[in-house]
Amino acid sequence: MQLKNDESRYGVVAQFFHWTIVVLIIVQFILANRAADLPLGPAKIGVLAQHKSVGITILGLALLRLIWRWLNPVPAEPLDIPQWQRIAARVSHIGLYALLLITPMMGWLMSSARNFPVSWFGLVTLPDFIEPSRPAYDFLHETHELLALTLFGLALLHVAAALKHHFIDKDNVLRRMLPVKLKQERS
Amino acid sequence: MMFSKSAHRLAGRLVVGCTASLVAVVALAAAQWSMQPKESKLTFVGEQAGAKFEGSFDKFTADIAFDADNLAASRFDVKIDTASVNTQDGERDDTIKSADLFDVKRFPTAQYVADKFTAQGGNKYSATGKLTLRNVTKDVPIEFTFENKAGDAWLKGTAKIKRLDFGVGQGEWKDTSTVGNDVQVRFALRLKGTS
Repeated sequence: MQLKNDESRYGVVAQFFHWTIVVLIIVQFILANRAADLPLGPAKIGVLAQHKSVGITILGLALLRLIWRWLNPVPAEPLDIPQWQRIAARVSHIGLYALLLITPMMGWLMSSARNFPVSWFGLVTLPDFIEPSRPAYDFLHETHELLALTLFGLALLHVAAALKHHFIDKDNVLRRMLPVKLKQERS
Repeated sequence: MMFSKSAHRLAGRLVVGCTASLVAVVALAAAQWSMQPKESKLTFVGEQAGAKFEGSFDKFTADIAFDADNLAASRFDVKIDTASVNTQDGERDDTIKSADLFDVKRFPTAQYVADKFTAQGGNKYSATGKLTLRNVTKDVPIEFTFENKAGDAWLKGTAKIKRLDFGVGQGEWKDTSTVGNDVQVRFALRLKGTS
């Protein structure tokens, strides 16, 4: 398998970005829910520290992924896809990328708003772009959660569409993002 | 004439004696300063999850006797209202005030008293004093600068403490992996001369 994308499938780099971000987003939901159940204490601070570090990692990976995508065009879509599905795919992909960038940024800002600055795995402390403020924190917290839920919903739609392509349309849309070769049962 | 001569001598001795004791009193007392609360700040920098955060104490008093030419008679006495801790997050402030950390109900006041000063050149000084926090008293050195412009002064400096030395962190808060042990204290006191 080659590093770069070609006309029929995604290369190793694009697949690495895609699947790593998938795993990290699942980790994020688990950590966020665990933190929400804990009272303010070392355990909660520890879980939130991991959540923040992973979130900043997602932000960084999403930026690198966009650069890679810009340098290295994605495989062509199957020719027989209806126009409305092309548009729906385009809109949802833009939405997913936007949420991968904006959701962590809102989390970063909300941490600053509460004067709990973000450290990336204890190695780098991120700057605070806003002053501590309770109303700003409340707004950013709500926004962060809403964006995360939107990301979750859009990701489910994305999975559903990929499965539809594989099992109903029986095209290569899902397979071209898989690191292993799945047998094509073209009827 | 004899009488008047001895009276004159006595008066002379009295004048000399009084002047000498007055000089001694002046030498004993260092200049007293009155802290201006609105312009003065007492802040600290702690560490949570690898990132530093700043907090402050909104209520404290400082009794400052300081004279660069008479360090032996200089003395700082600072009293801090532990419940006035402000980290710009109400939930965290409540946690810091709770029994496992400052325990402000049992220990409402922290105190720092310094009386051993050393000149470090220019307007820099260091001092060793005793900090009492949660009823634990330990030596805490401070470094500071004292800038005096005709009775209008700034006293600015720092100290480093370890919170667990004072028992700030009981139970689960003894863990220093998420909340660091090192705390830096910073102060900037605006002083006006009173004598």
